[in-house]
Amino acid sequence: MHLHKYEKIWLTFGIGSLLVFLIVLGIGAFYQGTQPPSCLVTIDPQNVQAHESFKEESLGLQKVGENEYVVNVLASAFQYNLGKDDKGSPVRTIRIPKGANVTFQATTTDVVHGFQIAGTNVNMMLEPGYISDFETTLDNPGEYTILCNEYCGIGQHTMSAVLEVYEP
Amino acid sequence: MSNQPSVKQSSAHGVNESKQTDEEPNLKGTFASVMILGAFIIVSWISVFILYMYR
Ligand SMILES: [Cu+2]
Repeated sequence: MHLHKYEKIWLTFGIGSLLVFLIVLGIGAFYQGTQPPSCLVTIDPQNVQAHESFKEESLGLQKVGENEYVVNVLASAFQYNLGKDDKGSPVRTIRIPKGANVTFQATTTDVVHGFQIAGTNVNMMLEPGYISDFETTLDNPGEYTILCNEYCGIGQHTMSAVLEVYEP
Repeated sequence: MSNQPSVKQSSAHGVNESKQTDEEPNLKGTFASVMILGAFIIVSWISVFILYMYR
């Protein structure tokens, strides 16, 4: 088969970039263990309280170790349940020290919701029956908006919360 | 046999007929477009990757 000189160049270039992308993807998946936020961990959406992490008292920010936190989130139309504060009113703002290791664990009791912390890599879909989790370290202090970016109904735009990363 | 005139007869000026098959087609423009598109894809991919790594 005869190939034009230019054709040989762009074929090599194309196949070469494909290989580079696949290798990067492979390192991410097999060496660094990257996986989708929802990875086959199931829960009964009708009875989420039966799960240790989604009991009423487990919701919201939990300190689990030296500079290590877990945030349990229960999403439903149209709010994020982040537990209750000392006065018994619902928590709307979560405060985490900069550089801490944080795992967000979330699920939904009704329809598909989103959980994105705008300006960070934390972005997951919450599906009824599945637990989504995302482990991260937040290095940039500031105020971040947590929002739902999966269309879940008429009040979707009101579904938000605030994450504050502060200098310890 | 057929009533169709042959190719040779139909062409009014049959000067370059046999020459074209031996020549390489000019792919300069195609080459440039392919490389520009490739560069665009790679630059976009790298920017998204850098954004992901630094966030
Ligand atoms: Cu929603």
